[in-house]
Amino acid sequence: MEEKKNLTAERSLEIIRKSIECSQRTITQNSALPLIWWGTCVLVLALLIAYLWQNHGGAAWNLLWAAIWPIGYLGNWMIDKKREAVPATFVSKCIGYVWTTFGIFCGGTGMLLGLIGSGILPLSLIMPSVFIFGCITSVISLCFGMGTTITGFIIRNRVILVCGLIAGIGGFFGALHFPGHEQLYVMAAVAITGLIVPGLVIHFSTKNKEDMSLCSNH
Amino acid sequence: MFQPLDPLLHSELRLAIVSLLIGVEEAEFPYIKEQTGATAGNLSVQLDKLSTAGYIEVEKTFKGKKPCTICRMTGAGHQAFENYVEALKSYLNVK
Repeated sequence: MEEKKNLTAERSLEIIRKSIECSQRTITQNSALPLIWWGTCVLVLALLIAYLWQNHGGAAWNLLWAAIWPIGYLGNWMIDKKREAVPATFVSKCIGYVWTTFGIFCGGTGMLLGLIGSGILPLSLIMPSVFIFGCITSVISLCFGMGTTITGFIIRNRVILVCGLIAGIGGFFGALHFPGHEQLYVMAAVAITGLIVPGLVIHFSTKNKEDMSLCSNH
Repeated sequence: MFQPLDPLLHSELRLAIVSLLIGVEEAEFPYIKEQTGATAGNLSVQLDKLSTAGYIEVEKTFKGKKPCTICRMTGAGHQAFENYVEALKSYLNVK
């Protein structure tokens, strides 16, 4: 950027606008890859566990969900390492907190119910009815949908907002209709709608704007 | 009546730096360099000027074994930017 002495008020305003827009775009774009990565992890694991559950020994394969943490965080760490150091904003922090809360709630509840469902912990420890175990996919889908919808509201993206509503409400009621391993197909669909599609929407929307070379021409 | 524009902010690169930093908690030197398209040397000079004026804080630290320069806005910087935008309005006839 060259220094110019005769900077007009219009040009000053243009610089401020471009700087803020480009910075926000880079930050938003950097949130796309983790969404796509975690969505792919959920999708692959859901389909794998559904297959194993159906063909090789039952619901105990749900314990494989524990693998999502090391795999997911390893991938996330690699994504963080490769991309440029993007500064934190209030918006990016909010989105981070939303998904961290989602992870803690769903991960904790899911693992506890998984251990009970596979007989490692007694059912009487926390709940009176096996039926609740059957609904865990509904609960997780609802949390997924809420996380995506809140993200859509924060970054003001209508497509993501609608994806969140479909994933949350659709997944919640959809899972109730399917017993056993078939619930995991609902989970796979929720991962596509609630994480992968929003991630792709963010990625491509910011990429298209970048093509307009707003950022390169201060 | 035109209000005077802060000469320190009334420069393309310094204005771009401050506009970048205004929306984030802090930013590393390579990020600012990439976003502004400035050369490392020029950017360092402008960051020094803003830092001397008390508009930004520059922290020199290490990321692993690599040196890392982190910049963040100060309260005085926020106030100066706010005043600059207010002054700009008088030139643009914005109420």
